[in-house]
Amino acid sequence: MLLVEQMIKIWTKYSTVFLSGLAGTLWISAVTVFFGTLLGVLLALLPLSKIKGFHALYKGYIGLLRGTPILLQLYFFWIWLPKALPIELTNTQCVIVALVVNSSAYVAEVIRAGIQAVDYGQTEAAKSLGLSNKNMMIYIIMPQAVKNILPALGNEFINMIKQTSLASVFFVSELTTSFKTVQSTTFLAIPPLVISGVIYLVVITLLSKLVNTFEGRLRACD
Amino acid sequence: MTKDAKPLIRVEDLCKQFHELTVLKHITEEIREGEVVSIIGPSGGGKSTFLRCLNLLEQPTSGKVFFQGVEITDQKIDVDRHRQKMGMVFQHFNVFPHLTVLQNITLAPTLERGLSKAQAEEEALVLLERVGLSDKRDEYPRKLSGGQKQRLAIVRALAMKPDVMLFDEPTSALDPEMVKDVLKVIQDLALSGMTIVNVTHEMGFARELSDRVLFMDGGIIAEQGTPQEIFGNPQNPRTIDFLSKVL
Repeated sequence: MLLVEQMIKIWTKYSTVFLSGLAGTLWISAVTVFFGTLLGVLLALLPLSKIKGFHALYKGYIGLLRGTPILLQLYFFWIWLPKALPIELTNTQCVIVALVVNSSAYVAEVIRAGIQAVDYGQTEAAKSLGLSNKNMMIYIIMPQAVKNILPALGNEFINMIKQTSLASVFFVSELTTSFKTVQSTTFLAIPPLVISGVIYLVVITLLSKLVNTFEGRLRACD
Repeated sequence: MTKDAKPLIRVEDLCKQFHELTVLKHITEEIREGEVVSIIGPSGGGKSTFLRCLNLLEQPTSGKVFFQGVEITDQKIDVDRHRQKMGMVFQHFNVFPHLTVLQNITLAPTLERGLSKAQAEEEALVLLERVGLSDKRDEYPRKLSGGQKQRLAIVRALAMKPDVMLFDEPTSALDPEMVKDVLKVIQDLALSGMTIVNVTHEMGFARELSDRVLFMDGGIIAEQGTPQEIFGNPQNPRTIDFLSKVL
């Protein structure tokens, strides 16, 4: 019961720290999800192209980002980006760029796999009717691929939210950093850790529910 | 069909290789206007690959394919436009599951023939009536039986007003009681004067309906002739062997 008492005490005193941390997490997540998806969609177009170089480029990009630890990638962008760009960059900006680049690789793979999972017979039928490649993608392949892509993409979004906790390594204002802040002020580790954990759990559970409802609705109109 | 009808499709020295495997060996052949040609033969003999080379769903390794006098194997040419005139029906139907029966038919005509939605629907309804699917117009394909899906696939191809219909084992994936309905549709089509190339295992159908039968084995057209010649008096030992197994 000591833990609960301590948690209540800490929450009453430091709730604003946790809530502003949550705001940071949500904000970073939203930006990562939005730009990560945008970049991922653009990337997923590369292997559809007839140009051979694009395939190699895509494979290299995906291989590199999925083959190295995300924390390493965060360090890389945190160190390299301020040197590479002539403008002042905050830690938060560097971390967001790294998260966006990392997630774009996973999103692109989800989309590519979703397109590839559409039965090849559909492509053949569309071709045999004389549909142009563009019309085939728009009217035949993509509408079917979307049903494969959306559920997997929902899970990807949830992963992105959890990965924003890595930003705490660079003291970017978010929920895991809130835990560190409260810990160093109160010299108590477990209670603030549990508080942060509960907040993550609530947010992610709610989002999973949302993704599941959406998935169910997609299946209903299948 | 008259003997001196114009060639609609001409194939010159067609070869197809999949990696090390040679599937078609130097085939030269013609399909004439209004002709009904059945292609029979053992599995792996190259029947389907030959058919799929006619509308370039398979890219030939070498050789030329002419359609209505135009070389469609020419890289510079827009093959999509020529494919519109070559309807194709597949063993596994390949209807579009996310579109209704009516949308399955109207999609290509509205996109590629420039028809308005109303015009396309009007034409589609006539076609659906012809194959007995009028009451299914607003259903999704998952509600259809195999035979109904295949009839839908046939009218979907017909909606592009093709000059030839290519059938790739159209009844092989059907339950026996569904085969008849589909064969009836193909038969009506043949009687209406449509040029047809039909890869089939339905020997009775090939015998009754065809002007010409091609027997393919080992990547070549091993023997060809009228149905009477091929089924009544085959010459090639491989044809004799094959027919003795399937008849």
